Amino acid sequence: MAPSENHPVSRGRLCARGWNAHEAPAWGDRLTRPLVRRGGRLEPTSWENALELARASLTTLIEAGKDVGVLGSARATNEENYLAVRLARGALRTGSVDSFLRATYQPLVDGIVAVANGRAPAGTLADVEASDFILVLEGDLANTHPQAAHAVIKAVKAGARLVTVGCARTQLARLAALHLPALPGERGFLVAGLVAAAVAEPEPAGSPERPLPGFEALRGSVAALPVSEQLRQVARWLAQATRAGILVGPDGGPPERLVREGTAIATLAAVTGHLGRPGSALLPLPARGNLRGACEMGVMPHLLPGTIPLTEATAGARLARVWGRAPASALGLTAAGMPGRVAGLVVHAEDVPAVAPTGQDVLEALGQTECLVVLDAFLTPTARAAHVVLPVASFAEGEGTITSLEGRVQRVRPAARPPGEARHGWRALSELSAALGLPFPYRSANDVLREIGEVVPAYAAVADGTRDEAWGTFTSPPSDDREPTLRPLAADRVVAALPAVLALEGVFDWGSDPLVSLSPTLCRDHVSRRKLYPQGLVQMSRRDADGLGVRHGWSVRLASAHGEVALPIVLCNELEPGVLLVPYAFRERVAGVLGGRSEVPVTAEKVQ
Amino acid sequence: MANEARTISKRDVAGWLAALMRRAEVIAPVAAHGGDVAFAAISSPEQVVFDFQNSLHPPKQFVLPQTDPLVVIRRNGNGIELEPVRDAHPRVIFNLRSCDARSLAFLYRMHASDLPDGAYLARAENVTLVSLACTVPCELGFCTCCDAGPFLKEGTDVQLTDLGEHLLAEPGTDKGLAMLSEAGDLFRPARPDEERRRLELEEAAKRAFGAETCHFASAMRRVSTGRVPEELWGTMSDWCLECGGCNFVCPTCYCFSVKDMKQDGSWVRCRTWDSCQYQAFTLEASGHNPRERRADRIKRRFFHKVSAQYYLRDGTVGCVGCGRCVRVCLGTTDMPAVVEAIRKGAWNG
Repeated sequence: MAPSENHPVSRGRLCARGWNAHEAPAWGDRLTRPLVRRGGRLEPTSWENALELARASLTTLIEAGKDVGVLGSARATNEENYLAVRLARGALRTGSVDSFLRATYQPLVDGIVAVANGRAPAGTLADVEASDFILVLEGDLANTHPQAAHAVIKAVKAGARLVTVGCARTQLARLAALHLPALPGERGFLVAGLVAAAVAEPEPAGSPERPLPGFEALRGSVAALPVSEQLRQVARWLAQATRAGILVGPDGGPPERLVREGTAIATLAAVTGHLGRPGSALLPLPARGNLRGACEMGVMPHLLPGTIPLTEATAGARLARVWGRAPASALGLTAAGMPGRVAGLVVHAEDVPAVAPTGQDVLEALGQTECLVVLDAFLTPTARAAHVVLPVASFAEGEGTITSLEGRVQRVRPAARPPGEARHGWRALSELSAALGLPFPYRSANDVLREIGEVVPAYAAVADGTRDEAWGTFTSPPSDDREPTLRPLAADRVVAALPAVLALEGVFDWGSDPLVSLSPTLCRDHVSRRKLYPQGLVQMSRRDADGLGVRHGWSVRLASAHGEVALPIVLCNELEPGVLLVPYAFRERVAGVLGGRSEVPVTAEKVQ
Repeated sequence: MANEARTISKRDVAGWLAALMRRAEVIAPVAAHGGDVAFAAISSPEQVVFDFQNSLHPPKQFVLPQTDPLVVIRRNGNGIELEPVRDAHPRVIFNLRSCDARSLAFLYRMHASDLPDGAYLARAENVTLVSLACTVPCELGFCTCCDAGPFLKEGTDVQLTDLGEHLLAEPGTDKGLAMLSEAGDLFRPARPDEERRRLELEEAAKRAFGAETCHFASAMRRVSTGRVPEELWGTMSDWCLECGGCNFVCPTCYCFSVKDMKQDGSWVRCRTWDSCQYQAFTLEASGHNPRERRADRIKRRFFHKVSAQYYLRDGTVGCVGCGRCVRVCLGTTDMPAVVEAIRKGAWNG
């Protein structure tokens, strides 16, 4: 594994996952032959047989009027995700196409776009590194997004002022000039408070010269919000900054709330003059590698490739022309809505229990699927549950492009040959579409990219740009230079009743991801935690533990309006008192207490 | 063997390399994708780069691969059959920099002492080092503080110095001397003015480093006598993102894990690079972890690198001053920064 010093983003620096990325393809349980389920067991077969079985089963289901769906993945290339959409909307004629992690990212982007008139996300990590003020909405970026954390650390070392927002005093919070505590789910509320502070300033330095459209309505909507001196201070710092970086960690809340949060963040950037300012950055962080690319390719039930509304006639006609068939324009099921609901499901490069909000419990729902077709490089738990398994290349053998959080589209070049009979993902998806009656004209991943350029406007110039030796090319910046549109903010507190709030920590369990779980070096932390805490755990501040009279490792009973559970506690001094966090890896354990919400008020008591 | 110095015209170097390639795998710095310089087995002499700042990745991987097969384990009836894997392929590492040559001497000593490591030694004993002295210091290196450059007096089989039209070649070992002798007419004895020029270049290179040193002695005294405040490690650990990059690009780091890879009915026990900065590196089977806090892991790393205990064992600090950890650190806890913090008792981020 050898990073390049000339790569414009990494500059030779990788995170632990990067340094050990070679392990999973080499050590993992690789799929080398197509498999089909016979008599309850997966048995090797030919590609021809496997494709025919998938075709026959899916066609029968569709003819019987049953629902089918497709899951794309942030682990797959742009080409594969685009072909997953083509498979769904073109070949299977369904709008049910999605990826699980989309819900942690795209609603934030939607909220930002609504204010920014298409100028989002904006800026690069290099911009963040050169900022003099940085606002980080966490998560725990040092763990989840080390490259972004690196940009922050470099900036702080160079003298930038850092403000963090979150429910834990994380590593970055300890480097911050100021940490603003926010309860789980209340990041958006806190940002609305910052907006209230910013618009209350008589004439903040750096703010736009004349009031932006919608300014008065905005001011009215936030006038009643409480504004502390700390919020005023941070709003002033942001307004005075020459270059500001705003990093938004993924969020696991309901989509409507994330849209509102995105709107509040973009509004804050707009009223302090940083929205669209060269050198200032506003970057929502995807939870996993190619999540931005997957969304832009249209792996979403409510938008077409290029994040175009389903009802937009021109886009539909363009897709109809290149596919030779009109796309299904119905609003489909979301990823979380598909397992147990669709009779036929095609899953590309995704291990469903690793990403589904219901965790391991989703396997039961997947088991009810009448035809589960899985394309993957690894024999994941999802592949083990499949009726048809198609072996595809891993990232190490694959070809195609991925889109970074900055919008940099980079080429993936094969470093090895796919093992056994495994085929490139773009080809396997194309062949599955062809078996279902939608033939394909592609001879390479680049042919697919060229077609993407025809239907996704921002990728029009990308196909040629990534072919040279440069490190990728940016998607076209929107030519739109209209002013931001301010809107009234709906600032909602999420949790009213205390003393304690229970929430999940993070939105993604890396330990269940094949690229980590199959890497002997990377899996150790996660495996050992599961061994030590087979029943799960809840993190608690020392003050809360003292209040309950419990010590590290002792159990507490957590009860909400929805249910209750007993869990051992792990002391976490970084946590704000009153906040109880359960790692995302153990989300099944508290599903009954959360009752489908991302955070709930709970009472906690010592288990006698 | 200083009086054995010879010179070769740059026009003849390709011929020399071609001759070396007939007898050994020649590993040398080459131009890689995207403008990098990387060590790789060459397929033609023209690939070899002479004018380069040191590569981000040291040539360590050619004696200590990232995944190093050690033993094949097979079932044999009711028993188990073990077959050691030995790689004794002859290799020449050409144009490696002085610091990297020093690091390979360090690694050899480590693997040869106490319980000799057969797999490592088989590879290392069949490697010939042809180093290229540094007439221009690299931007982030501090080899002068580690007795590892810019020129070497020992630790390399042949040391090359770029004299413009010619390369001066000084054998450092009998193996190096034999290698030059085998090249026959391609080399001629060095003239006194050429040897003088080499000394001038060495002095100029050392002067170019300036008076700057990185204060290992002071750091060693403090680390070895427990005079580094505990809080300092804690503060520093907030500036480390636990990527392990410092270990992977360090030419003297050799920590490893052992894992068995399944291969068609047999297992291959492999040594794989590991990082002492990873939380699970010291995790014990009981679930106990003596270095669960990152601060303790950073402390451990620098204790190993600069404490008197290891200095007495290894005869040197565990650093050759190549500066790669500065280039690769995802945080800011590289060797010079930490040594400075230890010396001053304070961390400046």
